[in-house]
Amino acid sequence: MLVTWKYRPRDTFIQRLDPRTRFIVLLCTIFALTIPEIWDYRFMIPLFLFSLTQFVLARIEWKEMRRTLFFVFILVFFIIGLNGLLSGRGGPSAALDPNSPIIYQALIPGTVWGITITISKLWFAMTQVLRILAMALPAIAIPYTLDPNIYGTAFKRMGASDKVSFTMDLALRFLPTFSRDLTITVDAQRARGYEVEKLKGGFVEKIRKLAPLIIPVTMQSTVTGEEVIDAMDLRAFDTAPRTWLKELHYAPRDYFMIGLGVVIFLACCILKWGFGIGGFFVPDFFTKFILG
Amino acid sequence: MNNNSTWEFGTRQVVYGAIGAALYGALSWFTNFLAIPAAGNISFRPAVAVLIFFGVAYGPIVGLLAGFIGNTIGDQASGYGFYWNWSLGNGLMGMVPGLIMASITDFKAQNQIIKAVGWGVLGIIVGMLFASLTEMFTSGIDMATAITGYFVPTLISNTVNVAILLPILMIAFAGMAARRGR
Repeated sequence: MLVTWKYRPRDTFIQRLDPRTRFIVLLCTIFALTIPEIWDYRFMIPLFLFSLTQFVLARIEWKEMRRTLFFVFILVFFIIGLNGLLSGRGGPSAALDPNSPIIYQALIPGTVWGITITISKLWFAMTQVLRILAMALPAIAIPYTLDPNIYGTAFKRMGASDKVSFTMDLALRFLPTFSRDLTITVDAQRARGYEVEKLKGGFVEKIRKLAPLIIPVTMQSTVTGEEVIDAMDLRAFDTAPRTWLKELHYAPRDYFMIGLGVVIFLACCILKWGFGIGGFFVPDFFTKFILG
Repeated sequence: MNNNSTWEFGTRQVVYGAIGAALYGALSWFTNFLAIPAAGNISFRPAVAVLIFFGVAYGPIVGLLAGFIGNTIGDQASGYGFYWNWSLGNGLMGMVPGLIMASITDFKAQNQIIKAVGWGVLGIIVGMLFASLTEMFTSGIDMATAITGYFVPTLISNTVNVAILLPILMIAFAGMAARRGR
C-alpha cells in the first residue's frame, strides 16, 4: 500500500509548460469569471473551450481519470446544476426573473411553495455548469500532469518564502516514509487479528477502530521530527538564504500562455466594467427553442 | 513541551509543518474509502484529528502549513485536483487550535484535553465555513447549499473525529514525550 502519484511523465505541450505558468493561467481563468462576475454565454463558451483545450492537450487516459470524472460529474451536474435549475440562486438576480416563461411547475396544493422551473433558471443552470467546468478542467489535470517534486521550487519562484517552499518540498519527501510506516502498522495490526477492510459498526465505532493505525504512525512521526530538526540545525538551516537544486526557466510558450491568460482576465474586466457587457441574460434563440 | 512562542517560524515549525502535511495527506488518502453518506463529494477524514493535534502541539504556523499543504497533497494523491479554497480552509482548521499551544502544558490533563477539543471544533467551524462560503463564489452555489451541502456534513464528521481521536493522540503524546524527556 504505497501512495502512488497520479503524475506520469508525458511528452505533451501542457507538461512542457513551466509549473508557474499553469498556476497563473488557472488563476487568470478563475478571476476572469469571478471578479467581474461574467455570466454571458458569449464569454463563457470561449473560456470553456480554452480550458477544454488545455485538458485535452494534457492527454490523460480515460482509465486514469474515470473515477475523478465520475465525482466531478456528480458534483457539477447533480449538485451545482440541479441547485441552479431548482433554486436559481447562487448567481445573478436576473436568473430569478418573475416574468420568465414557466416550463414546469409542481406546487403543494393550496400553497405557493413547490418547484417552479423557468426558462431563465434553465439557462442559468446550463451557464453555471459551463462556468464551473471552465474553472475546474485545468485544475483537475494538475495532479496528473505536474511533477510533485517541482512544487517547492515552483512556489519559491512564485514568491513564497524559503521556509514555506521547503516545508512543501519536505512534506513530499516524507510522504513515502509515512506511507511505508502506515503499511508496516497495518501489517502488524493484521497479525493481531485487526481487519482494516472489514471495519464494522456505526460512524463512531469506525473512527474508534482506526485509532490503532493512526496513533502509532503519528507518534513515530513526531520522534522522526526531532531527529530531522537536529540534522537541519547542524547544517545551519535558516541562517542564510537557500539555493534550490531545480531551476525553472520560462520559455516563449510560457510567455504566450501567461499573456493569453492576462489578456482574457483584462478583457473580461474591461468589457464588464467599461462597457457593461458580460452580465446574465437569456438569449432569444434559447427562449424560442424551448417554447417552440 | 512547548517552549516556543506562538508565532515563531523556525526549523522546528518547518519540519513539523512538513510532517503534519505528509501525515494528513497520507492518512486522508488512506481513508478515502470511507465516504460521508449524502455528501458524495466530501471525504470522511479521521486525519483531521491529526491535523488539529499538530496545531495544538506545535502552534498555528504548523497547523496552517500542515492543513494547506496536507490537503493539497491528499487531493493530489487522490487525483481530485487543486482547490485553493479547501486547502486554505484546511489550513485555517489547523491554525485556529494552534493559538492555544502556549497554554497546553500537560497533554494528559482532562481540562486541557477538553480545551484542545473545544478549540479544535472552533478551528473546524472557521476553516470549513470559510471553504464552504467561498464555494459560493467559485461554484456559484447559494448559501443554503453551501451550508447544508458542504459545511454541516464536514462540521459533523470532523467534530466526531476530533472528539474521539484527539484525546487519544494527546495522551499518547504525553506518554511518549515523558519517555523521551523532550
